[in-house]
Formats: sequence, structure tokens, C-alpha cells
Amino acid sequence: MENKKILVVDDESDMRTFVSTVVETMGIEPDTAQDGPEAFEKARSNPPALVILDVMMPKIEDGIQTYQQFRTDERLGNIPIIMLSAIARKTFFHALSMLSPQKGDQVSEPEAYMEKPPDAYELNRLINNLVTAKK
Amino acid sequence: MEKTILLVDDEAGIRKVLSISLSDMGYTVLTAENGREALEIFKKVNPPIVLTDIKMPEIDGIELLRLIKQENRETEVIMITGHGDIDVAIQSVKYEATDFVTKPINDEVLEIALQRANERIAMRQQIDQYTQNLEQLVSDKSRKLVEAERMAAVGQTVAGLSHAIKNIAGGLKGGAFVLEKGIELNNKKYLMQGWEMIKGNVDKITHLSLDLLNYTKTTEINYQPCHPNKPAQEVFNLMTLRAKQNGIGLKCQLCPDLKELNFDPELIHRCLLNLVSNALDACVENHSGGKNKEVQIITATTDGWGVEYRVTDNCCGMDEEIKAKVFQEFFTTKGAQGTGIGLMITKKIIDDHGGVIEVESKKGIGSKFVIRLPKTLV
Repeated sequence: MENKKILVVDDESDMRTFVSTVVETMGIEPDTAQDGPEAFEKARSNPPALVILDVMMPKIEDGIQTYQQFRTDERLGNIPIIMLSAIARKTFFHALSMLSPQKGDQVSEPEAYMEKPPDAYELNRLINNLVTAKK
Repeated sequence: MEKTILLVDDEAGIRKVLSISLSDMGYTVLTAENGREALEIFKKVNPPIVLTDIKMPEIDGIELLRLIKQENRETEVIMITGHGDIDVAIQSVKYEATDFVTKPINDEVLEIALQRANERIAMRQQIDQYTQNLEQLVSDKSRKLVEAERMAAVGQTVAGLSHAIKNIAGGLKGGAFVLEKGIELNNKKYLMQGWEMIKGNVDKITHLSLDLLNYTKTTEINYQPCHPNKPAQEVFNLMTLRAKQNGIGLKCQLCPDLKELNFDPELIHRCLLNLVSNALDACVENHSGGKNKEVQIITATTDGWGVEYRVTDNCCGMDEEIKAKVFQEFFTTKGAQGTGIGLMITKKIIDDHGGVIEVESKKGIGSKFVIRLPKTLV
């Protein structure tokens, strides 16, 4: 394992604590951010191995905007992202395509999508897949 | 059903002959020899068909027609005319006579006239029946529609409630996981964090159930004379400590010119408490720092109303989209922290008092909630 952190982005402190604990007990150091701008700033100064991102912060636009910002960034564009969300998968992808600017190429889909509340073991499995696969 | 005909003619011979013909056709025949007698019988029996001569002393046929139609518009009146009474016939039409039969009376012509009268009666009955059915149908459908709407409202409420509960369940589940890891790894930090999450979510579900209970209680207003400054002062006293702990300046400015009003002090207390509590939450949420965070409770006089309460803060603020939704059921900006019931209850209480609640807000500047209660005599 590289010496990289996993960035947990959620506006609810309970969710940050829970996801951080899942990450930490896997032997990876978590970093947390409360909103998109904070997440972006932290990621730029120290690019994480993975981002776990809440879609509603508190509105879907906030989460999607942050997601697009990550994906279109030169340095951060390849970091895998797990979307956590209280909305159904289909609704999210629909919103994502509606809110994507018409730049010709669509913003790529996140590596994984999980509906809230996340299951610890499923989250564990996803993190394992994405972080080891990246390596 | 046997039909009754009232036959009116001043000539006994015609009455006799026509009575026989009409009885043969299956009618029950009542006779009158002049207009006055005819009217008396008509008022008692209300026959569906009247057959009347036009030329009679005192009250003539036209006048009788007019009076009968005045009594009951639906009566079918057939006029018996002599030859060449065109003027009279026109007048009869004006008063809505059913038909004319000319003297000397031909049975077949009479029968056709009666048949027309009967068809009109049958048609009218049919229309009445349709109308009644239609009214029944409309009332049935309306009732079903109202029911459906109520069910939709219940559905929406249940969906919102389900979301709130799901959030709390998620928090509890997360807390349990963190706590479990703490036990498993003998890690004090996890134990503490997991425990805090569980406690926090137990608090949330307690609040949710209390909110719901309060919501059902708000249906009754217990009006009593009270000074409008009283609930404002109470809420100020109650919240001062919490404001201080969070580094927020809570101020109270009560108008001395207000007079006693009739309202439910307990419910208004709850509304103000809710608004102040929201304002404090907004300030705690606000991380921008810099300015001094401040929440104010103000009472004031205002034209046409008994009192105006204002609760203002200089934190957060809301954009137009959020502002439009704040009074909606289960709408919350606080994520799992809020249930979205508070402002909904507040609005309901103010509505029930016949008052108004308004919000002004600018994102990044702050929010102002205004409640106005009507002037009510004490």
C-alpha cells in the first residue's frame, strides 16, 4: 500500500465518523472534508488514493459539482471516486447527465455508487477493489 | 299508474261527453264548471293534465291557464278552442299551453294531444331522474376525489417520515459499527465516537416522536388573554445559555406599547422557540467567521395587527430555492440533524391563529422571520 490517504467528503459528521472508521480499520489513513471546496483544496495539496463523496451536500448540485470538478482536474481526474447517496442510482445518473456541460465529451461515471446508508462490509469490499486495482 | 285529468267546461253536455271518452281512454276524470271551481280542485289534487275550454264566464281559459302555470309550471294544459280563435291561441302559447283541440272535439285529435302531454310528462320525469342520478354521481365522485387527495397527503407525509427515520436508522447503524470496532480492537477513540453517534441518534428519534406528538396536539388552540411580550421574554431566557455556549449574541427587544391579546401563549412560545432555535443552528453551521454572530428577538406594533414578532440572524441566509420550501412538510437543510417538522408546525399554529408568517433572507447575509397575530379582543 502506498502512503496515500482516502478522502471522506460528507456534510454530516455521523457519516464522516462512520466512513472514516471503516477506512481506518482497513489500515488506511482517512482524511475528511465537510464540503466540496474543502475537499478540493485538501486533494490538491495531497492527492488521495480514493475519494468517498456524498452526493447531497446538502443539495444534489453541490455533490455533482464537486464530482465534476474532480473529474475534469488534470491532476485529480484519475483518482477513483465512490459516490455515496441517499438517492437511487438511476436518479443520480440522470441528474449527472442533465447537469453535465455540453462540452462534447461526457464526464465519466464514478467507479462505484452506493446508496445510503452504506453497508460497512460492502464499503470495505469496494475500497479494497479500487485501491488495490489502482496499484 | 292511472292518470288524473281535470276537465273544465261551462257546458254540462261537453263535460259529460268528454268525461266518457276520457274514462274510456283510462283516465280518472275530475270536472269543474268554471275557473274558480277548477282552481280549487287543482290546488287540492294537483292533476298532471288539465283540459280546459277557453270561453267561460268570470275566469276564462287563458286566465285559468296562467293561474295553473303559476301554481305548477309542469302541468300540461290542453286548450279547447272554437273555430277562428287564433288570437286566443297565440295568447295560450305565450302561457305555455301544451296543445289545442278545436270544437267539435274529435276523439282521435284529443287522443293525440293527450299522448303528447303524456310524452312530455314522461320525458320530464326521465330528465329529473337523470339529474338526480347525475347529482348522486357527482357527489360520489367528489367524495372519492377528496378521499384520494387525503390519501395522497398521507402518503407524502409517510414518505417524508420514512426518510427521516431512515436517516436516523443509518446513523444508528453507523454508530453500532464504530462501537463494534471499538470493542473488537479495544480502541477507546472508536468506543467514544460510536457511543456519541448512538446517543445523538437516540436524541434525534426522541425529538422526532415529540415533534410528531406536538403536531397532532396543535389542532386545538387554547385562547387566553396574555401579553404578547411574555412568550418572547420566556424564549429569550430559555435560549440565552445555549447562545452563549456557541458564542452567539442573543438579544431581545420588547415593545412597551403592545397590549394584551387573546392567543395561545404556549403555542406561540413554541413557534418563537422554534424560530430562535433554527436561527442559532444557522449560526452554529456558519463557519465563515469574521463577523459577530447575532440573533435577535423583537416585538413591535404594526398597522392592522395585534403584534409583530421578528426573529433575525446574521448568519447563513437562504437562497430563493430553499426559501420557497421552508414551510413544506419534512423539508430540512440540516441533513440528518433535522426532521423538517419544526417550521411546518410553526406555520400551522400561526395559520390556525389567523396570523401570517413570512420570511426574508439573503444568502450569506442572514434571515428574518416575521410573525403577525391578529388583533383579538380580550
